[in-house]
Amino acid sequence: METDVLIIGAGPAGLTAAVETASRGLDVTIVEESLSMGGQLIQQTQVLGSLPSFYQPKRGFELAQRLRKLVEDTSVRCLLGHRVIGFYKDGSVGISDEANVFPLKAKKIIVATGAAEKAIAFPKWTLPGIMTIGAAQTLLNRDFVLPGKHAVIIGTSDFAMDVALQLSEGGVQVKAMVEKSQTVLARDTEKVNQVSKMGIPVHVNSSIKEARGIGRVEEIDIEQREQIMTIPLDTVCVDGGRSPILDVFYQLECSFGYQRELGGWIPQYNPFFRTDREDVFLAGNAAGVSSQGVLLVTGIIAGINASESLGALSKEEAEIKTTSLWKEIETLETKLDPDVWNARIRHVQNYEHPVLTDQFIS
Amino acid sequence: MHIKHHPILGEQLQKQVTIYFKDEPYTAYEQQSVAAALLANDIKQLGVSRNLVQPRGMFCSRGRCCSCYMTVNGEDHVRTCMTKVVDGMKIYPNDGDPQVRSESHGD
Repeated sequence: METDVLIIGAGPAGLTAAVETASRGLDVTIVEESLSMGGQLIQQTQVLGSLPSFYQPKRGFELAQRLRKLVEDTSVRCLLGHRVIGFYKDGSVGISDEANVFPLKAKKIIVATGAAEKAIAFPKWTLPGIMTIGAAQTLLNRDFVLPGKHAVIIGTSDFAMDVALQLSEGGVQVKAMVEKSQTVLARDTEKVNQVSKMGIPVHVNSSIKEARGIGRVEEIDIEQREQIMTIPLDTVCVDGGRSPILDVFYQLECSFGYQRELGGWIPQYNPFFRTDREDVFLAGNAAGVSSQGVLLVTGIIAGINASESLGALSKEEAEIKTTSLWKEIETLETKLDPDVWNARIRHVQNYEHPVLTDQFIS
Repeated sequence: MHIKHHPILGEQLQKQVTIYFKDEPYTAYEQQSVAAALLANDIKQLGVSRNLVQPRGMFCSRGRCCSCYMTVNGEDHVRTCMTKVVDGMKIYPNDGDPQVRSESHGD
């Protein structure tokens, strides 16, 4: 099997990259591990506040539907339920459908593998009923299953606020939100006020000490200024932040740089979202964890420049479009958090001087 | 508990199916993952850890942490958060390492 552009991941960035490349007449293939397109947008029921200027505000799942429709209107080949598991010696991509493995030869690859939630470790953190905050949201909004009756959320990011509200509205009693910092981390004060109106107590300067239960979580200890508070519950949602998923970049022997604000280690890339390999571009959270709006724009930039590298549009046109899209990223990311934007600029400037090459990090 | 009426997405659970956990029947709905459907039936422990034999359940729901491994329709180590329910599915907990190193499977 052969294709012009292989896109790994059908989340927001992978889908916009697919539209950009396929609409220019290229043969495009998407490999997606799950059985549906849209990535983590599928279970986002909140209105996404910071989308690019060319999008109307909409809920996450509505955006996923729109992107899916755009992709379906093109001739993109979607391999759902398939994973990239490695590379053949001749550079072909090894793709598995969980039963067989087959090679796919791609002229260009756009890696849009996204980010994974990080765990928070404490004694007995592996008890059933303790899950990532994203898992709880998936149960609620995608599988239509109530994760439990009484929950505590560890973390106070904007995402944690969204999920706290959604769990409450779905019928879960959110007994507390626990934050180890001195203040709530969420920047959206309106959401924080909504959480407080819902009567959800937020404990700052606090941390989870341990969980207990037989076969499942039954209670946790919260430590606040050397006081221990025991809370009976059946669900703990941990928000440990996210880090980019890098497996494919290791296999492709890309070089990496470290930017804490963008989620830690990320592949080096230039303003065209190309890695230090001429045939490998990247987009989305894999290029640095950011807001959904930014993810869409990075996918567009990667798609445009992958198209340019295959002669599907002129260098000048690609540069003009890329420059204006970077302005869009600046607007969105500065609004999200100026530190994230600054880290991104630093990272792209470091492209000429990679700090880590030919080294396996994990 | 299955959510019959979602505050934003409305009534989404339409096609009911029956799945079997340790040979007992449970109600699930098409489109749900196996791990989610079991949780809806208050089954949280999906297996035990291989060294210390500690209970394990669904953790990431993204197919990355492997905490939800189970045996599904005779296949071991299936990530049940990434597998959709099918009517009549037979599910058993992951209570040990499967036998993969045998003559018939190579080494």
